[in-house]
Amino acid sequence: MQGIASTGALITTGQLLPDIAQAQPGTFQARAIPSTGERIPIVGMGSWITFNVGPSQKLRDARVKVLQTFFDLGGAMVDSSPMYGSSEDVIGYCLKQIDNDRALFSATKVWTVSEAMGKRQMKRSADLWGLEKFDLMQIHNLLDWETHLRTLTAWKEQGRVRHLGITTSHGRRHGDLMKVMQSQPLDFVQFTYNIGDREAEKRLLPFARDKGIAVIINRPFRRGDLFSRYARHPLPEWAADIGCENWAQFFLKFVISHPAVTCAIPATSRVDHMVENMGALKGPLPDARMRRRMVQYVESL
Amino acid sequence: MIPFSPEVFFALFEEYNLAIWPAQLVAYGLGLLALALVFKPSVSGSAIIGAILAVFWLWNGVVYHWMFFAPINFAAPVFAALFVLEALLLIWRFVIRRDLMFEFRRDFAGSAGVTLMIFALTVYPLLGLASGHGWPQSASFGVAPSPTVIFSFGAFILARPHMPVFALVVPFIWVLIGGSAIWLIGIPEDVLLPAAGLVTLLLFVRRKRHLT
Repeated sequence: MQGIASTGALITTGQLLPDIAQAQPGTFQARAIPSTGERIPIVGMGSWITFNVGPSQKLRDARVKVLQTFFDLGGAMVDSSPMYGSSEDVIGYCLKQIDNDRALFSATKVWTVSEAMGKRQMKRSADLWGLEKFDLMQIHNLLDWETHLRTLTAWKEQGRVRHLGITTSHGRRHGDLMKVMQSQPLDFVQFTYNIGDREAEKRLLPFARDKGIAVIINRPFRRGDLFSRYARHPLPEWAADIGCENWAQFFLKFVISHPAVTCAIPATSRVDHMVENMGALKGPLPDARMRRRMVQYVESL
Repeated sequence: MIPFSPEVFFALFEEYNLAIWPAQLVAYGLGLLALALVFKPSVSGSAIIGAILAVFWLWNGVVYHWMFFAPINFAAPVFAALFVLEALLLIWRFVIRRDLMFEFRRDFAGSAGVTLMIFALTVYPLLGLASGHGWPQSASFGVAPSPTVIFSFGAFILARPHMPVFALVVPFIWVLIGGSAIWLIGIPEDVLLPAAGLVTLLLFVRRKRHLT
């Protein structure tokens, strides 16, 4: 399957997109952030539920191993939010325990109303992570986005945050997100996209690509629903042609092979699942024809 | 949308139970006292029962929701406020105004009320044990929301002339929230929660019709 990704096209339109990233075996897939050119590995790590372990020392130490494995296998972007309970606190704990986090691309969110509360929350997040500044600060679920965007724009100019973005996890907010993308200068957007939920292919992904906005994809496994639906079935034989050894890699490679996607952020609390996820960083990516085949296969199950 | 996994929920319950020990024993003692007092109805006895229930609700609001579960659940402060509100309502009606009485009568409603109170004290923890999360991962009577709400429903059924509607709002909100834990977290004993809510609702409507 050498060169499989070199003739990629948008699955919904058939439009030719010749520059889909391709990795040789043994190298990591990475994509550039359009606004800065900085390259980041195309598989990151989310922390919704999985890193919200509260004060339990046993569970915290188990998450240290998960994060260590993530960095060992070439990961960089770690995404969280103040909404995720103790996740930021636990990530900060994990980062203190490990010494292989030099590649860290720290991404969190502001999830509150008002300028003062937003600033306070972002400072608290930095304290919890043990960082001076974040690589990416996002406005969570568009909450009071005008206020926070003013703050973040000023902070970015002052060098207090490196990139800014906005997120939604709800399909019904895609229209609102689109309006912000059209009217505001954003480095990143984050929304949901997976093989079972491809609404974003119609407008959000093409527009982000055209406007040069980096895209983070949350819920690439549809909150585990894809495994519940399909994992009892065998992988197709041709999955090996795109370097997929398991369903996690199959689902992830579908997401990250879209040319507008900069990074997908699956979440897991298990080291073996992290190993599976990070396996998607290696090997060829599916091209447009293969992506259609992937969709047809899961829809036939 | 629960922001934590069942594994984390039970781990935190274990920490909670060990941290507050022996509050569970005190809660059981207070629960047994409240149960005994409904068989000797009096204004002062009802005030004591009301105060005991208020202590349970206050504890659940402040200690359980606010102190222990707020760090892993962004909705916990709201739950804390609701539980404290219910505690204040109980104090107002049973301890300050004293215009309601808890009274066991030998009829269906009386039997149902006492049965729910006994279920909260005995069947609920036994179901938890049977489903694989006994002590210290169990939701203990009086210091965890679901058994407290079931026990309260039993007492509310015994209230004469009848519990005011506004005092039932928070318990029914918890029926919806706690009831979702049956499947989302895997707490089969919480099936008693919607069952107790349904019994209370039916008897409340019947009582209101009878009084009007």
